[in-house]
Amino acid sequence: MDNKINLSQLAERLAQEGGMSKAAAEQFVKNFFDIISQRVLVEGLVKVKGLGTFKLIQMEDRESVNVNTGERFTIEGHQKISFVPDADLKDRINKPFAAFDTVEISKEQAEALSRMDEEDEQEVVAPVAPAVPEKPAAPEKPAEEPKKSAKEKRLEQKQAKKAEEAKMKAQKQQEKKEAAKVVDTPTVKDITQKKGTRCLLKVLIAILTMILVIGLVLFMLWPVVGNSVLDIVEKNLNKAKIEMVSDSVKTVAPAEVAPVKAVEAPAETESAKPAESPAVKPAQPQQKPAKPAVKPAETPARTESLTAAKYPVIKLNSKDEAKDLSEFTLADVVNFSMEGVLDTYTLKKGETLTIVALNYYGSKKLWPYIAKYNNINDPARLKAGTVVKVPVLKSK
Amino acid sequence: MNNKQFLNELSDKCQIGAEQAATQVEQLIGVMEKIWQDGDSVSLSGFGVLEVKKKNERVSVNPTTGVRMLVPPKLVLTYKPSSLLKEKLK
Repeated sequence: MDNKINLSQLAERLAQEGGMSKAAAEQFVKNFFDIISQRVLVEGLVKVKGLGTFKLIQMEDRESVNVNTGERFTIEGHQKISFVPDADLKDRINKPFAAFDTVEISKEQAEALSRMDEEDEQEVVAPVAPAVPEKPAAPEKPAEEPKKSAKEKRLEQKQAKKAEEAKMKAQKQQEKKEAAKVVDTPTVKDITQKKGTRCLLKVLIAILTMILVIGLVLFMLWPVVGNSVLDIVEKNLNKAKIEMVSDSVKTVAPAEVAPVKAVEAPAETESAKPAESPAVKPAQPQQKPAKPAVKPAETPARTESLTAAKYPVIKLNSKDEAKDLSEFTLADVVNFSMEGVLDTYTLKKGETLTIVALNYYGSKKLWPYIAKYNNINDPARLKAGTVVKVPVLKSK
Repeated sequence: MNNKQFLNELSDKCQIGAEQAATQVEQLIGVMEKIWQDGDSVSLSGFGVLEVKKKNERVSVNPTTGVRMLVPPKLVLTYKPSSLLKEKLK
């Protein structure tokens, strides 16, 4: 590998092959290349059957930029010797890779590939320099049996190349499968692609705006609610009016029945509490009027079996009932802390982190924890056999 | 200069028959092919280097249709003229 064969070595091998003297072979090889190099300069074209065509081509003037100074300068037109190998020879040289065909691919796949290329650059170089640790078989064999003939060596090299071919094919196929999967499951797609992060951002922004809108609505409604509350205080906790308060709270969280019921309960028993604090400062900034509505709602939520994590999601959704829970992946994901290893799991073929998350946590949406815990940057490209640690999740 | 002219000149220079020249050229190319398949390069002073290089796979885009194609990796025989020969070009 990577040896430079010079004139005498070439002549020696030719002499062995053709059964002629070494001197004659050397003379022949010398003449062979002399004629090519001389004639290509004189006639501009030399065709050698079985090898290829040497051709003198004219390069036009072109402008270039000095990389260091940024100055523009022209590269003057010059002549260049080009070599085009014979079609037959070309095919025989490319035999180790002859199995590959040019394939049409989609944009997403192209992007995924370009990312893969950056990571796998060393891997791809493997057949040229088989010292890459991922392919120990190729460099080991020649070391073990250095006495092998050239033919055997070549066979081995071919085998190594074929193995690499197969590997690359498998990789490509896997990638294609994964790309297909990405299209199938929207949740995975959202996060694996760049689009995913954008989508999450959008969701976040939507949540924030919703909070603002709720705050504003409460602020606008404040005079009504506040007045009614003042009335309540004045009329010594009139029950009918208290129900109005709870009704107004209901507009905040109408979808979630349980918390609302719970709101009614404290409103009845300690109605003074929500009523007093706003009554003291009627011209508060917009966050503060929101508070009394949230406070009674939060306390009953804890008593329920609902986790604290789910609650804010539900509250936000309540305004827009049609929205699916699954859209708020981020809300789920930021509410747990990872403490210790629950289990280790070896991925099988076709399995993704979402499946692992579903198995261990009962929710697909919690897969980012596993990714984060294992420092997986690209969850769309996991290989079968990858061992992942599944963290214990505790709600914050 | 086509192959026939080339063989004629070669046989003249080496003082061998045209047929013999043709078979020897074939043998020489066969020997060089084996060298290339071993991953070695043929380097001749005054002529240049003939070697096999690996081109990585790449994604090419058809500019008119926008269709993306994955072009597979390939091994290509390349020729790099020696600096001596390049000097002569000027």
